[in-house]
Amino acid sequence: MARHNLGTVVSFEVTRTLKKKQFWLTTLLVPVVIGIVIALIVLSNTATDSKVDSQKDATLRFTYSDASGYIDPAIATAFGGTLATDPDQAIADVKSGQSAAYFSYPAQPTKEATTAYGADLGIFDNGKYSSVATQLMVASAQEKIGDPTLTGLARGSFQVDAVTYKDGAVSGGILGAIAPLLFLLIFYVVIVMLGNQMLTSTLEEKENRVTEMILTTLNPTTLIMGKIISLFIIGIVQMLVFILPVLFGYLFFRTSLSLPDVDFSQLIVNPGQMVVGALLLIGGFTLFMGTLVAAGAIMPTAKEASQVFGIVMALVFVPLYAVSLVVSDPHALIVQLFTFFPYSAPVTAMLRNGLGSLSPLESGIVIAELFILGGIVLRLAVQLFRYGSVEYTKRVSLRTVFARSRG
Amino acid sequence: MASSLLSSLDKPDQQVVPRKDPRQDSEPLVHISNFRMDFGRTTVIRDLSFDINRGETFGFLGSNGSGKTTTIRALLGIYQPTAGLLHINGKPFSPEDGGTLGYLPEERGLYKKESVIDVMTYFGRLKGLSRSAAHAWSLQYLERVALGDKAKLRLDKLSGGQQQKVQLGVTIMNDPELLILDEPTKGFDPVNRKLLMDIIEDQKRAGATVLMVTHQMEEVERLCDRIVLLKNGTVEAYGTVEDVQEQYGGTVVRIRYTGDIPESPHFTVTLRESSYAELTVTGPIDEAVILRELMDAGVTVREFTAGRPSLDDIFVAVYGDQNPGATAGERTGTAGE
Repeated sequence: MARHNLGTVVSFEVTRTLKKKQFWLTTLLVPVVIGIVIALIVLSNTATDSKVDSQKDATLRFTYSDASGYIDPAIATAFGGTLATDPDQAIADVKSGQSAAYFSYPAQPTKEATTAYGADLGIFDNGKYSSVATQLMVASAQEKIGDPTLTGLARGSFQVDAVTYKDGAVSGGILGAIAPLLFLLIFYVVIVMLGNQMLTSTLEEKENRVTEMILTTLNPTTLIMGKIISLFIIGIVQMLVFILPVLFGYLFFRTSLSLPDVDFSQLIVNPGQMVVGALLLIGGFTLFMGTLVAAGAIMPTAKEASQVFGIVMALVFVPLYAVSLVVSDPHALIVQLFTFFPYSAPVTAMLRNGLGSLSPLESGIVIAELFILGGIVLRLAVQLFRYGSVEYTKRVSLRTVFARSRG
Repeated sequence: MASSLLSSLDKPDQQVVPRKDPRQDSEPLVHISNFRMDFGRTTVIRDLSFDINRGETFGFLGSNGSGKTTTIRALLGIYQPTAGLLHINGKPFSPEDGGTLGYLPEERGLYKKESVIDVMTYFGRLKGLSRSAAHAWSLQYLERVALGDKAKLRLDKLSGGQQQKVQLGVTIMNDPELLILDEPTKGFDPVNRKLLMDIIEDQKRAGATVLMVTHQMEEVERLCDRIVLLKNGTVEAYGTVEDVQEQYGGTVVRIRYTGDIPESPHFTVTLRESSYAELTVTGPIDEAVILRELMDAGVTVREFTAGRPSLDDIFVAVYGDQNPGATAGERTGTAGE
């Protein structure tokens, strides 16, 4: 049934939020910060790369000793090296400045450290000693192997694609977890960014003494639904604003940012997991928003209501303390508790759903629990708003509210 | 719907064409019957019944905490009544009927961080006007109340009196059939009070029914056709102002005098000052008998008038025992709050 004036409420709430300078200042702050971080990383990485390249290319006059026998003298000469006959004298020459550097290769380079002695050129430029010493050993080893492919394989430069099976079908692995875990990300963003707005949004009617006039034109359920829908729309706007710089960074500066090259065509989307994830998101959102509305209706001021917001936030983040257990042992008692306790259930269940450890039975129970409890809390929130928000200066007890609603 | 009011705003002195109602005049617009309201173990309203006829201005009177605001909230569906019927237009009020109602609650306020015009337009839309009609009406109203240049300002940038004017505009913008005003002049300065009274008169002329809660007895005598007095959760007096004066107060004798007023079974002294007193006559006694008793007791009477008690007199007589601090000699035009 179409709700009387629902569209008007949504339109008013969305428009007035989007018209506020403060909304855009706080919303744009996140992408601006992300942009600055990206720029700094790109600049820093570019500087590092060019420095490393220039160090690679620089001709360093050095002496060396080779207990391992792997260093090819011809390559060493090409690098600018001279074999040292007396290691102590070579070190003394470096100390006195007569020699730029001295590399001491041990008998077993894979087990013992190679030591590079050199004049101090500053923290960053000192890196060129280890860089040249490493390059000399790598080039010598390559020469001994005689095959670049073998060299690459020996260095582990090859890819392994894992194909795993679950219930007879190919399971997704990490590529299968990405899509359903997006619901968890959305849940966090929505609750963290919009939770406080929801709390203060219903408090606004109370603090502004506008409840009675509003309730003669629409019922409290419509008002609260309108506020929740408008906050959801605002949340989408915020997420788009946040995602844009990340997308931009990924598309144009992926290498500079050292981001993995994700082949999105390889992502595995399991429809069952996606449906469960979406239902957990909606159920969890309903439960938390209903709770915040109820708190806003009971408390006389935003200051007092903020204490409730702190508790709600703690409940959202508590499951993360057990995240290693959620991954490694989803049947542990604490994980089971977090899975079924209503206020930790959304996060824990969405995480387990993404990792594929939430059974269909558990999914059904948690989804039913969230929707039933979310509905009850929303109804309670409506009652509290109806009766609590006309008690303009008092904190209202549940007993008082129920006494009024029973009449 | 808003057009008739817009025209009345344009020409406030011009005669407004009354709304024609297809229903019979005998059918009350507001019908409250055997209303009871308990909050847990506390009974606020025991048994309340009264009707408000179409087109009349009705005064809903009572001392502080007597349950007036509770009754209005129950009538508007904000509270669920424990028992009884509370009907507007023959059925319980629902927000879908909000377009026919103008409600100015005792606790007032609007969205303070939004602009005046946005808030007015929003309420206009909630009451069923189109965005453009609500916007145009609001601008015209703001011009009338000298706030035309404040339309785009945030409400919290306006003075208290200016905010009251905006709230009043929001209350009447849908050309309401029923106007409920809970202590309408509370917090108004004399200028805004006159504006409010003018607007109520406009609404009355346009055929609106007005339910008014007030402690300003002179306003009641000036505006109200009928009244109800609420005491201890039930009706203490109900009818036209004259009926109530007749029903409750009987005759009041006002004298200017010197001497000592005697005790008498025929009257009680309800106000005594150094040379002025008001005596409430008990029973069907002729005023001449009272005059004779005073003169026989040696009182020199320089001026003697007999008439009905004012609503102030009645209010003090009815609620005086609930407010022991108020003595007869202290009473003024404002009773209660």
